[in-house]
Amino acid sequence: MHSSFLKKIVPYTFVFPALLLLAIFSLIPIVIALLISFTGLDITGLGDWSQIKFIGFSNYLQLFQDSAFLQSIMNTVVYVLVGVPLVIVISLTIAILINSGRNGFFKMMRLVFYTPSITNTVAIAVVWTYLYNPSLGLFNTLLAKVGVGPIGWLTDPNVAKFSLIILAVWKAVGLNMLIFLAALQGVPRSLYEAAELDGANYWEQTRHITLPSLKFSIFFVTVTTLIGWFQFFDEPFIMTKGGPLNSTNSVALFVYQNGFQNSNFGYAAAGSFVMFVAIIVATLIQFKLQEKQRGE
Amino acid sequence: MKNVKRTVLMVISLLALFLFLTGCGNSNAASKKTLTFWYAGDGDTAVKPIIKKFTKETGISVKIQSIPWSQYNDKLLTAASSKNGPDVLLMGTTQMANFVSSKSLLDISKYVKNDKALNPNNFFSGSENTTKFSGKYYAVPWYVETRVLYYRKDILKSVGYDHAPRTWSELYEVASKLSKRGKNMYGFNVDGSEPTFGFMFARQNGAQLVKNGKTQFNSSEMVSSLEYLNKFIQNGVSPKQDQKLTIAQSFGGKAPIPMFISGPWMLSTIKEEAGLKDSQWAVAELPKGKANNMSVTGGGNIAVFQYSKNKTNAVKLLKFLSKRENQLTYYKNSNSMPTLKSAWTDSSLKSEKIQVFRKQLNNSEAMPALKQWEEIGQNYLKVWEPIALKNNNIKEAMDKFNKETQQLIDK
Repeated sequence: MHSSFLKKIVPYTFVFPALLLLAIFSLIPIVIALLISFTGLDITGLGDWSQIKFIGFSNYLQLFQDSAFLQSIMNTVVYVLVGVPLVIVISLTIAILINSGRNGFFKMMRLVFYTPSITNTVAIAVVWTYLYNPSLGLFNTLLAKVGVGPIGWLTDPNVAKFSLIILAVWKAVGLNMLIFLAALQGVPRSLYEAAELDGANYWEQTRHITLPSLKFSIFFVTVTTLIGWFQFFDEPFIMTKGGPLNSTNSVALFVYQNGFQNSNFGYAAAGSFVMFVAIIVATLIQFKLQEKQRGE
Repeated sequence: MKNVKRTVLMVISLLALFLFLTGCGNSNAASKKTLTFWYAGDGDTAVKPIIKKFTKETGISVKIQSIPWSQYNDKLLTAASSKNGPDVLLMGTTQMANFVSSKSLLDISKYVKNDKALNPNNFFSGSENTTKFSGKYYAVPWYVETRVLYYRKDILKSVGYDHAPRTWSELYEVASKLSKRGKNMYGFNVDGSEPTFGFMFARQNGAQLVKNGKTQFNSSEMVSSLEYLNKFIQNGVSPKQDQKLTIAQSFGGKAPIPMFISGPWMLSTIKEEAGLKDSQWAVAELPKGKANNMSVTGGGNIAVFQYSKNKTNAVKLLKFLSKRENQLTYYKNSNSMPTLKSAWTDSSLKSEKIQVFRKQLNNSEAMPALKQWEEIGQNYLKVWEPIALKNNNIKEAMDKFNKETQQLIDK
C-alpha cells in the first residue's frame, strides 16, 4: 500500500519543478496579459489598481484601426515569408556541404558558420550598424569602388527591411545548420551504399535519402524559426528603432514601444495577444501538415 | 532496500525544490539601516565618493545599484507595479510625471517646506518645476542640463563669421553658406531623433504647446517654426536623416556638420574624441527666434520611493546630496551641472564654456509635465519624419497631430 503510493508519486516529483517553472514564468503571465488586454491599464493604474478600468474589446478594435500596427503586421509578414525559407534553405545547404567531408577544412567551416549564433545579438547589431553606415560603412565603401552609388541600407524605407533580414539570416544559419548536421550524421551509410549500387547519382541520393531522413529536423527547425521570426525584435530595436517611416517596425517592437515607452500596458497586451494567436495558428498548421505527411 | 532508495531520492528532490523556492524570494534580512539607492548611469565613479562621506558622518550605510539609462525605465516600471524597490532613486526629469502619477514617489512637501537645505529657491526654477506636481513636492533637484549651440569657430571664420549666429535668420544664413563648402557638407543639424527639438524651436517662435489642457500643436507659431526647420532640410543645409557619424566624423576635421544643438554631456565627448584643439570650437547661447531663445531644461532629481521602509534616513540622504560641497563633488566626477544656484560661485565652474550653459539656464524651461509626454514626443518624431523625408504638408500633419494628442491627453 505504502510502496505503491510512493511509486505513483515519484515521477510527479521529477516533473513538478518543470511544471512549476512553466506555470510561474509562462502560463500565469499569459493569463494575466490576457486580462490586462481588456483594460485601459496605464502608468496610473500600475501604482493604484483601483484606477484600472475594464474596457472590453476596445483595445483590439483600436489596434486594427491603428495604421502603425497594421504596418508592423505587414512588416512582420515580410520578415517571416522572406526570412524563414531563407534560413531553412541556406542552413540545410550548408549542412549538406559541410557533411560531405571530414577533414580540417570542413571542421573549420562548421566553426565559421556557427560563430554568429553564439555571439550576442546586440554586439552583432552594433557592428552591422557600422557596416551599413551610409557614408563610412564597409558595404558602401566597397560598392563605391565598383561604381555603384551609395545604398541607404538603414535609411531607405524600401531597403532597410531587407538589410535587417540579411543580418538576421546570417545570424540564424549557424544553429540550424548544427541541428541538420547532427541529423545528417544519424542517416545510416548503408542507405547510400545501397543507392549507389542501384546507380543513383549524388542529386538523386540527396533527394530520395537525405531529405526524407531529415523530415523531422526540418519540421523542428521550421517551427522554431517561424516562432523566432514572428517575434523579430532585437535587430530593429537596436539598429533602426522601427524607422525609417515605420518600415522596419515589427509587431514585437510595436508592443514594446507601446508598453514600455508609452506605458499603455493594456493596449500593448492586446497587441501581444494578436501576435500570440498568430504564432499558435501558424504552429498548429505546421503540426497538421506534419501529421498528414506521416499518415501517407 | 529499493524503498529506501526511492525515499531518499524523493527527499532529495523535495529538498532541491525547497531550496529553489526559497532562493527566489530574496529574503530582505540585511540590516534595516542600509539604504538602497538606484542610480541610472555610472553611480560608482559619480556618487560613491559622496555616499561614503554620508555613511561616515551618519553611520547609515547605502547600497548603490547602477543601472544603464537604457534599461532604467523598465526597472522603474517593475518597481512601480510590484511596489517593491529601492529607498532612494534617481529620476530623470522627464520621468517624473509618470511616476508621480503611478504613486511611486513619496510626497516630501513637509520636508521641503521645513528644511532650509531643501528650500526650492536654492535651485534653478526650471529644475524645481520638474519636482512639483499640483503644489506638492515629490523630489529634490540633483543636476541640471540645458541645450546650447555647439559650433566650429575656425570653420565659421573660413566663411566669414567671427561669432556664433545670434538669431534664427543669422543661423540659416551661416548654415547655408557652410553647406556650400562641398559635397556631403552641411551647416547645421536639425535633429530628427530628439523629441524636444521641434518643440524647443516652436517655443522660441512664441508657440505655447499645451494651454489649460488644450493642445496647441497646430498654431501658426508652431507650424511656421517647423517650416523654418524644414527649410534647412529641403535645401540640403541639414542632413535629412541621422548620418550615424561619431562626433569625430561629424564635428572633427573638416566638420561635415559644424553646428549642432546639444547638452553639456557633449563637452567631454568632444574633448576626448573629436581630436580638436580647445580654440577650434565653442558653445554659444541659442539663436533668438521671434519671441526668445528658450532652451530645454532636463536633468535628474532624487526622490524617495513611496513604499520604502526607511523614509527618515532616505530624506537625510536627500538633504546631504543637496549640500553645496556635494553638488560640486558630483560635478567634478561626472560633468553634470549642479542645480544648486549657490554652487555656481565655485571656481571649478568658471570656465568660459560652462558659463555659457549658466547663462542659457536663465532662459530654459522643461517640457510640459504630462504623464503622456513621452508618447507625445515619440508621436511627434513620427510626424516629423515624413515631413523631412517626403516634404509632407506641415499644416495638415500638425492639424492631425494636434487632434490625436488632444485625444491622448483627455483619455
